[in-house]
Amino acid sequence: MIALLLYLLVGVGLLVFLWLLARRKGAPVEGCGRQFVEARQALRTLQEGLLPDNLIQRIFDRHDFRYVMASSPADIGELFLQERKRISLMWVRRVRCEIRNLMQFHLDYSRLHAKLSLLTEIRLGLDFALLLLACRALRILLYVRGPYGARAVVGVMTAAAARVCAASEKSLAFLNPPALEAFRRDSAGDGAAI
Amino acid sequence: MTDMLILLLWLAGLLLEFVLLVRSVQTKMFARYVYFYAYIFCVFIVSAGLFIGRSKLDFYDAWYWPTQFATLALGFGVVLEIVRQALAAYPGAERFARRASCAVFVVTFCFVEWRIARRVAWSTEAATVELERDLRVVEALVLATVLAIVFYYRIQIGKNVTGMIVGFGTYVGVSLTTLALRSFLGPRFNPVWSDLQTASYFFALIVWTVALWSYNPNPKPPTSGRGGGGYDALVHGTRARLESVRSNLRGVTGS
Repeated sequence: MIALLLYLLVGVGLLVFLWLLARRKGAPVEGCGRQFVEARQALRTLQEGLLPDNLIQRIFDRHDFRYVMASSPADIGELFLQERKRISLMWVRRVRCEIRNLMQFHLDYSRLHAKLSLLTEIRLGLDFALLLLACRALRILLYVRGPYGARAVVGVMTAAAARVCAASEKSLAFLNPPALEAFRRDSAGDGAAI
Repeated sequence: MTDMLILLLWLAGLLLEFVLLVRSVQTKMFARYVYFYAYIFCVFIVSAGLFIGRSKLDFYDAWYWPTQFATLALGFGVVLEIVRQALAAYPGAERFARRASCAVFVVTFCFVEWRIARRVAWSTEAATVELERDLRVVEALVLATVLAIVFYYRIQIGKNVTGMIVGFGTYVGVSLTTLALRSFLGPRFNPVWSDLQTASYFFALIVWTVALWSYNPNPKPPTSGRGGGGYDALVHGTRARLESVRSNLRGVTGS
């Protein structure tokens, strides 16, 4: 019975894949270059616009809230909290979107490299999936507990981040310094080419 | 299905195979998709031979299963062609697919061997059906792996290869599902199994005829990524950015 279910699962799964393939809209090839530039720009947005410490501090620091609560009526404080929650949710959504772009950026390039490593790709895929999952979890928490409720999940997030970091550090040991320098030099410009 | 309808489908199938072969010569696609057209050619010869000799029961019985296995084995050529053509311009993804397909083949082979080793009773008919089903499993898993890679890496494929995948994939998917049900439900499922297999192969022939009417190659990928840096540098670049995002997220959560 289990074998039958497995066979049926494979057969039906393949038919679902084919249905998806038949429905897939073909992206214009000439648009791939543009997508690449956009992905690079998205990376810059992520690194320079969305993730600087001062912006994150500004959104998630309790001091502003305490100040508003101390110097204004309660309904103003409530309004402030709602606005801050809205901003924090928007921020997580944008970060998630840019992480997806980052993933796409990697996939668009790795598929062309003949030296592509199966294990490395699987590890990176898991890293991305974990990070995207963490973003989603953070979004749910911010939605449920408000902009200052995320600190309560420090343990869970830290553990997930630690696992990902361990995998990254292990991989960094195999890096080729000249190639790394070439990559840094080439990608430090306007982001149009590597 | 009535005998008349089966005969009509058989003839129509032969006609479509013939049209496919003629078009392949006219458009010179025979040289581009060698394995695929070799499969169509063999199926056409076998099918025409069985059609001519169908009135002689001894001839049909003697040749049906050997030719069935020959075409089954040649079906792997179509899978090979799909892997070769779909990912030809993407060496990285092609390497990924090749290794993943090997892993799928080894795992499936071990699973089948393990099941056979556990069996006490053995009959030729059951073994024949199960062998075909197990071969279809390998084909289905390899096709699914290739499709997963095509979706994951957002690889664009042309009309010809899409047609090959949709046609052969539908035939394999339907065959696998019906063969699994047949070995579970027994001989009472035989008429449905036979009709569905015939119908799915006919559907595949229609898809192939439409998709392979003229040469339509895969879109060429952008070439800017082939420059310096190499794969190691690319992986490091991605990891460095991931780490940057992670450290910022850790900042948000307060660790």
